[in-house]
Amino acid sequence: MANRGEIACRILRACKEAGHPTVAICAPNDAGSLFTEMADQVVMLKGETIAETYLDQQQIIQAALDTGATAIHPGFGFLSERAEFATAVQSAGLTWIGPSAMAIEKMGDKMTARQTMRAAGVPVIPGEEVEEVDEGMALEALRQAAERVGYPLLLKASSGGGGKGMRAVHDPADFDSAAAGARREAVAAFGDGRIYIERLLSGSKHVEIQVLADQHGRTVHLGERECSVQRRHQKVFEEAPGPTMTEALREAMGQAAVAAAEAVNYVGAGTVEFLLAPTGEFFFLEMNTRIQVEHPVTELVTGVDIVREQLRIANGEPMSCGPLMIRGHAIEVRLYAEDAASGFLPSIGPLAVFRPPEGPGIRLDTGVREGDDVTPNYDPMLAKLIVWAPSRPEALEKMRRALDEFVVLGTTTNIEFLRDLCDAGPVVAGSTTTTTIEELWPNGWNPPADAMLEEAALLAAASAETLGLHRVRTRISSDLTDGPASPFTTLNRRFP
Amino acid sequence: MQHTFASSEGPVEVTLARDGEAFVLEGQRLLQHNRGRLHLTLRDGRTCLAHAAKVGDVWWVHLNGRTYKWERIEPGSSGAEDEGGLVAPMPGKVLEVLVAQGDVVEAGTPLMVLEAMKMEHRIVAASDGKVVAVHYAAGDQVAQGAVLLDLE
Repeated sequence: MANRGEIACRILRACKEAGHPTVAICAPNDAGSLFTEMADQVVMLKGETIAETYLDQQQIIQAALDTGATAIHPGFGFLSERAEFATAVQSAGLTWIGPSAMAIEKMGDKMTARQTMRAAGVPVIPGEEVEEVDEGMALEALRQAAERVGYPLLLKASSGGGGKGMRAVHDPADFDSAAAGARREAVAAFGDGRIYIERLLSGSKHVEIQVLADQHGRTVHLGERECSVQRRHQKVFEEAPGPTMTEALREAMGQAAVAAAEAVNYVGAGTVEFLLAPTGEFFFLEMNTRIQVEHPVTELVTGVDIVREQLRIANGEPMSCGPLMIRGHAIEVRLYAEDAASGFLPSIGPLAVFRPPEGPGIRLDTGVREGDDVTPNYDPMLAKLIVWAPSRPEALEKMRRALDEFVVLGTTTNIEFLRDLCDAGPVVAGSTTTTTIEELWPNGWNPPADAMLEEAALLAAASAETLGLHRVRTRISSDLTDGPASPFTTLNRRFP
Repeated sequence: MQHTFASSEGPVEVTLARDGEAFVLEGQRLLQHNRGRLHLTLRDGRTCLAHAAKVGDVWWVHLNGRTYKWERIEPGSSGAEDEGGLVAPMPGKVLEVLVAQGDVVEAGTPLMVLEAMKMEHRIVAASDGKVVAVHYAAGDQVAQGAVLLDLE
């Protein structure tokens, strides 16, 4: 398992269900993390930075060979879309759970992907690719391309993803600093500063199609996910099916996605992302050649276990899923350790209390548990909360209830923001677009004021202090000086 | 049963009243159930369960889907106020310093670019002022809470 956190837990569980013994790798600052407890074996990596650990291809392959592993699952992020890693894994005699290095390469370089899709007849967003590598020449070429593409526009890193190396530019006056910033972020994150320009299609929906392809020549799509609601170009609210999707459009987009996959002889699970314009036209954005963060909503409405299918496909078996059937509605929200009221700035701290909601139709994919610390070392996503219900309105009702029930104390999270989002007009109506959050809260989001609840919280704080609730159990545990602390005595412990 | 908590409008004095087992404040009641579970009756008659945990001096309280933080000011502490410096919101690396000592800046002017959690963050002037000191240079690592610049 060449990954960590939430997605490592998800995949290790699937392996356990399939009867495959597992090996986790773990950076020293990840020792004791939840995912390390789910694997049959753990290999502690040497090094401190991400580059020295989860991105160190040699070390990871060596760990696989040393433990007798036969396959590597890369999860998402980290090395999942590095073609040279896929090649290195296979050269070492291991099975790569993912598409071929060639497919990753063609789709991973976003500029090449746009060219490949154009050739395959899949519509792409109007824009220009700039191949210049030299900083000064690239900036000049970008400036000229920007004039031809027109404003507003998006700058995107050719090796990019997850909003890194991406900038929206509305005013030509901001172009130079935005281009320099995008290049710098791209060089830092991917070691590749090449940038391309796309026209910014405002009012569009972000709709993506899940595809699966096995080694027996079968490529299918599992319908769409709508992921329009984004902040800082990162998704926070995803659903399936798309609230405005029609059978005819699903069929057309599904066919385009299958064509995109077949154009690169795709094998495994992948996602073809499209922008759906208000006119009903759709444009290829990019293909993610890996399992996707938001895959659970597709799993809940199709009944297909995408990770299990990945394992089957990599093992040379035909995929097990039958004809596409979509049932009910699923919504996922991403819980981040971040301060939504301060421009979504990441936050850190202890998870003094971490109590997820429960009940029918609720799924939680997380890599943390109560007592863990949120550090600045990794992505601030704490968990994915996913609900399923027979209809979209019921799914939203369930999500509201689930978010109200979710207690996280000790670290600031975006739970209240997500809860507020569930009441927002465009979300209720299903008319969200990629600019919904900025339009709803042009001056930034703030929690709705409620003097009564704030005073009630003050009453609770003062009462808890008077009752000495922060002391009760720590005193018990400090009395028991010998042996490890019982989990009962460390409940409600005071941090730090 | 008097406590002082910090708020944006300065210290708040809280004096809890007792009504049998219950604590009362401004017409709202709290009853502790067993195992530290806090049961509240709000002013409008609704009831809810609160979860509370103390981290450092801060009480985190969850009730009705909302989370509030109340920092307790320990008796005898000076209640130190911020000195108006701009502090690093999280540990990270300084990527760029956009101003120099002596610069006059308006509210909203970007002063510094930090990198943390693989993303860039701009440190922005909260008010008009003059840059009195710049404490870090590009490439420096900063700890959370480190004073980055002083504005006057």
